[in-house]
Amino acid sequence: MPQVFPKALNPIAKVVVLGFPLLLGSAGLTGAAFYRSSYATGVDEILPQPVAFSHAHHVGQLGIDCRYCHTSVENSSSANIPPTKTCMNCHQQIWQGADMLAPVRESYRQDKPIEWNRVHNVPHYVYFNHSIHIAKGVGCVECHGRVDQVNLTKQHATLLMEWCIACHREPEKFLRPRSEVFSMTWTPAKGGVWQPEDFFHADSPEAQTLIGTPRPTTQQELGALLKEQYKVRDRVTLTNCSMCHR
Amino acid sequence: MTQEPTGYQRIELPLQSSKGVSAPAAAEPDEPWRDEFPAGAMEWTDEVSRRHFLTVMGASLALAGATGCNIRPAPARKIVPYTIQPAEITPGVPLFFATAHSLGGFGTGILVRSNEGRPTKIEGNPDHPSSLGGTDAIAQASLLDLYDPDRSQSPTHNGLPIGYEQIIQAVRKELYVLGEPKKNVRLRILTETVTSPTLASYILKLLNDFPQAKWVQHEPISRDNVREGSRLAFGRVVHTVYDFTQADVVLALDADFLGFGPGHVRYAHDFASRRKVRVDSREGIKPDQMNRLYAVESMPTSTGSAADHRLALPSSMIDSFLRDVARELGLSQVPPSGPLPPVVQSSVRPIADDLKERKGRVAIVVGEHLPPTVHALAHLLHHHLKAVGTTVRYTEPIEVRPEGDRLIDLKTLVREMQQKQVDVLLILSSNPAYTAPADVPFSEAIRSVPFKLHLGTHQDETAVLCEWHVPEAHYLETWGDVRGHDGTVTIQQPLIAPLYGGKSAVELLADITAAPYREGYDIVRDYWRQRFAAEKRGGIFDIFWQESVRRGTLAGTAAATITPSVQTDWMANAPVLPSAPVEGQFEINFRPDPLLYDGRYANNGWLQECPKPVTRMTWDNAVYMSPNTAARLGIKINFRWTGGEHGRAEVPVVELKYRDRTVRAPAWILPGHADGCITVHLGFGRTRAGKHVATTPHLPNAEGKPVRGFNAYALRTSDDLWGGRGAVINVTSQTYFLACVQGRWYTTQRDPISGLEMDRKPVRYGTLDDYRKFPQFAKIPPMAAGEWELINENVPMPKGHEGHSATTSHDPEHSHKHHHEAAPGNGHNGEHHDGHHDPRLRPLTMYKPTETLAPDLRPEQRRRWAMAIDLSACTGCSACVIACVSENNTPVVGKYEVTRGRLMHWINIDRYYVGPEDKPEQLQTYFQPRMCVQCENAPCEVVCPVGATAHSSDGLNDMAYNRCVGTRYCSNNCPYKVRRFNFLTYADWSTGTLKLGRNPEVTVRSRGVMEKCTFCVQRIRYAEIVAEREGRSIRDGEIVTACQAACPSGAIVFGDLNDPDSVVSRWKKEPTNYGLLAELNTRPRLTYLAALRNPNPKMPKGA
Repeated sequence: MPQVFPKALNPIAKVVVLGFPLLLGSAGLTGAAFYRSSYATGVDEILPQPVAFSHAHHVGQLGIDCRYCHTSVENSSSANIPPTKTCMNCHQQIWQGADMLAPVRESYRQDKPIEWNRVHNVPHYVYFNHSIHIAKGVGCVECHGRVDQVNLTKQHATLLMEWCIACHREPEKFLRPRSEVFSMTWTPAKGGVWQPEDFFHADSPEAQTLIGTPRPTTQQELGALLKEQYKVRDRVTLTNCSMCHR
Repeated sequence: MTQEPTGYQRIELPLQSSKGVSAPAAAEPDEPWRDEFPAGAMEWTDEVSRRHFLTVMGASLALAGATGCNIRPAPARKIVPYTIQPAEITPGVPLFFATAHSLGGFGTGILVRSNEGRPTKIEGNPDHPSSLGGTDAIAQASLLDLYDPDRSQSPTHNGLPIGYEQIIQAVRKELYVLGEPKKNVRLRILTETVTSPTLASYILKLLNDFPQAKWVQHEPISRDNVREGSRLAFGRVVHTVYDFTQADVVLALDADFLGFGPGHVRYAHDFASRRKVRVDSREGIKPDQMNRLYAVESMPTSTGSAADHRLALPSSMIDSFLRDVARELGLSQVPPSGPLPPVVQSSVRPIADDLKERKGRVAIVVGEHLPPTVHALAHLLHHHLKAVGTTVRYTEPIEVRPEGDRLIDLKTLVREMQQKQVDVLLILSSNPAYTAPADVPFSEAIRSVPFKLHLGTHQDETAVLCEWHVPEAHYLETWGDVRGHDGTVTIQQPLIAPLYGGKSAVELLADITAAPYREGYDIVRDYWRQRFAAEKRGGIFDIFWQESVRRGTLAGTAAATITPSVQTDWMANAPVLPSAPVEGQFEINFRPDPLLYDGRYANNGWLQECPKPVTRMTWDNAVYMSPNTAARLGIKINFRWTGGEHGRAEVPVVELKYRDRTVRAPAWILPGHADGCITVHLGFGRTRAGKHVATTPHLPNAEGKPVRGFNAYALRTSDDLWGGRGAVINVTSQTYFLACVQGRWYTTQRDPISGLEMDRKPVRYGTLDDYRKFPQFAKIPPMAAGEWELINENVPMPKGHEGHSATTSHDPEHSHKHHHEAAPGNGHNGEHHDGHHDPRLRPLTMYKPTETLAPDLRPEQRRRWAMAIDLSACTGCSACVIACVSENNTPVVGKYEVTRGRLMHWINIDRYYVGPEDKPEQLQTYFQPRMCVQCENAPCEVVCPVGATAHSSDGLNDMAYNRCVGTRYCSNNCPYKVRRFNFLTYADWSTGTLKLGRNPEVTVRSRGVMEKCTFCVQRIRYAEIVAEREGRSIRDGEIVTACQAACPSGAIVFGDLNDPDSVVSRWKKEPTNYGLLAELNTRPRLTYLAALRNPNPKMPKGA
């Protein structure tokens, strides 16, 4: 039987044979990269909102505490999106005629809620709880980024499961003293001294010996200490399925 | 298939959520494909060729991998905050509100969970005397009624929507002229039994304003006989309240006091408190304190199944039985009794002796359907046995108007309507067109009333006969008040604004009597403000009101205890009891359905699908009869291949003739039923209960009508509401399939395929004597290899705690010695030479898994969640099943899917028989709630290819729904058969109102996903977060699973095994503790305490 392919095709065959795994591999890599890209995860995407609310202005410039609006962040799964009334607390007095705030005034007058587009959107089978993260010393910044520098709110982290798991496996890398949880600018290098609020039980002997003394200035040292102090559980327990899925 | 291949046809279903009801039953056996795809499932509408099939399959395979690659894990959503956030609401933190669920006029206190303003779960109110923290299945399921999409949604006039104000104007025009009542209007108000003081005040005001007016209370499950019995005995109507904590001996005469009637939740709690025999002195009772229950009944009930001795006796003979007992007790003037079957006759003396011996500590409970003379005799016996004041207490009646006979009132009303003597008829939340006896022509008579107004939750059978209809508000939508079984008043508070603008009866009457319109809140509050002032209660009303509403009880409203003097003059007129029944005729009993009650819950999918206590029937009623009766009639049940374990049962249809009325109904053989009589349940066959659940266009009943079950009211006559003799049964050639999830199952069962005898001893039971001789009787050594050492005493006890220390009787050497003496015949014949225990009782593993699960976890944070269920206390009432459904968003699958073994309930209450089925007095019934036992060596976990089910550090067998790909390997490998698979899209994703009622803390599962009990992991994690947030450990009892919370008898405990003092640890140290199928070394975290019975040795053999 004569040969089907001429000899001249041999290099092409080699290229195909060698290139096929490469092609598959690169397709896989591309897929994986795409899956993690901001296009797929929505990181940094700015959604249109009924009111162009600026965290940079309210947090960065005015220095309003997170909890002024996100009232239930310390005691509920939900941080709480503030009701219109919260906006009106101030905006009855200042900028009460601004065009930008017309939807807020309209909402208040008609008793119709403002419908915000959800920025941090986890699937329905994920049960995230803000309060426990706050209680165990995970700063707002860790997940939400420098909110004080962001004009229109956007997603800081990918919210992929691998991102959650990264911290649940090594929580010590991300913990901070409880009194610094709401700080946008805190770094371990800033050090400072232990505050009574840093502890669950400030009157415990262990806390009493620490309060007033300087904190460690490296995350490694501080994180290990905090993990012990806050009784953050081990990586196995923190990555149990039912921690987040139920 | 004999038909031409036409491909898959689309079956047009009228409605989305009537899952699995898609098949025409007649066509079903020939055309099984018709039911392949119920509503919501994906269907092929085109013809299938080989090429097309390959194309589609190829594409499906290629795309199957792509389904996991949604670009965004979650779809875009909105956040809608409040405009002004109510102060008490924190989004994500549920609130609980106290209110009461009422049935037959009697309220049970409940706490309702509210998630952001939506009621999502009902729990018992521990402060309420009728609840003490427990609930029943009906109260649990009443939540679904709130969200019923078939509820009446608008006031109507002749079926057309109309404004509520126009209706009020129309009524007022009939009743008032220039604001003054027309004195001659013949007004009739038809209600259920009313205990609500506020509603009564408005009804009485109307009766006062209109001298010609009458108030008729119609209650199909009436307590007329109870009231009449007390009138005979005391000369006046009194109410009886039992205290079962004080009762050593209880005699239940056709009375399901543990599962039915006023206060049954409380009674189950009190009764069970005398059944929990414990070695540990901190709880339960000692063996000597165990009570004894004799049940004499025709239809097996929860109470009869829990009894130590159960005698099957037709209801008509129970009077004879009690008269014999009374005579035996020395009441010589008792009227003569009729004949009794020999086995019952020979039991009379031992029972009477037992009652005499425990004088003062006995209670006799009489079923409300039994004739008044039985009730009167029981009252007499209570006096005779000095039970009044200890176990029995008499109070003023709870009902607003206890006098009169409800049935006579209804018949009078019908006669007046026929004679056109009624001008205005107001029907308030009653459905007489459906529930009236067959010989009371309510539906015809009502047509001659010129003005009829109906208030009801549905456009039901009565609503269509009335030209005016007002939608009734659900009790979770409105203010009201109701009295409990001891008279304690609960203010019912709403949790949500009426979904469909409904009105309560109080609001409607208030609007009729006195415009302008007033809110229910003002009406109820004003009534109590006046009462508060009139009763000269001290303090400030607002504080009293706030506190009463918050607690769910009004202090000082319990009915006053009275001591009426007992009379015996009724005995002279006592009816002569019937002689032996006529051959070929049967006695028929009409009983309320244990879950649908009088039929008002017919459109409630949870209750329809919940296997009924004892019978384990779903979606249907049947003619229940004993095996002997069935054999005489030649009736057999064909279980097909299932052996009766789950799913489909094909039964003959019988023609049931009673007093010239006939229905066709499926027959069902129920071991334990009295011979010579049959029982039918009311509440089925409703034509206008709602289209989603109650009507079945594609699955007709045995009569060919598109409704669920058959209507037993069609046979019920007013001469005796509860049945009588003379029913004739003709077996037809027609068959009908029933969805009975456990047709018959004995602890010893022959395998239907191999024919081998199987006895895994799933339920272990013993008598009090067995227990005294050898408390460890439930630990059957060859079967319990893993159990003795490990399950009972458990793996990594905190240091310093020795497993054996808690109980001395637990010493293995001691117990084994006993074991050889007491129970040599159960297969244990090994030697025990180490002087400590049987060497075969070593754990079958070298590892202690819970230690290796999370080696780095701090010892004080290690939890081992576990559960124990006391089978002595379980009455099979099914409250836990519905509680679980409600808490865990379990879908309703429909009758047809149930017959395929696809019931999705996470808890199955297995019912096991012990003894010969044709000898009811020897037949014992045991219940065993079976859910995921959370094995420590879980067989399901090792076979999951995608790791969707995995062990958590605290020993839970986690199920990650979003990871499950539906291989069902886990379900195949589960020895307990507790995993449930979503074969189709069972969860209703489209009906808006149903979404409101779901628990937001639990994922709604979709098609192709395995699910199972998680020990309510959402509650565990919630409690964990709260505790960790506060920097403390979880307290014992802080986590209460849904089933545990619902259980009226407290048969379920949950907690941490690492805490040696936790209640669950203590229960597991009890000698009766055993693990189900523990011989497989799965090491279940859920274990059972063996069922104990306290039989009377003097009873005749076999009874």
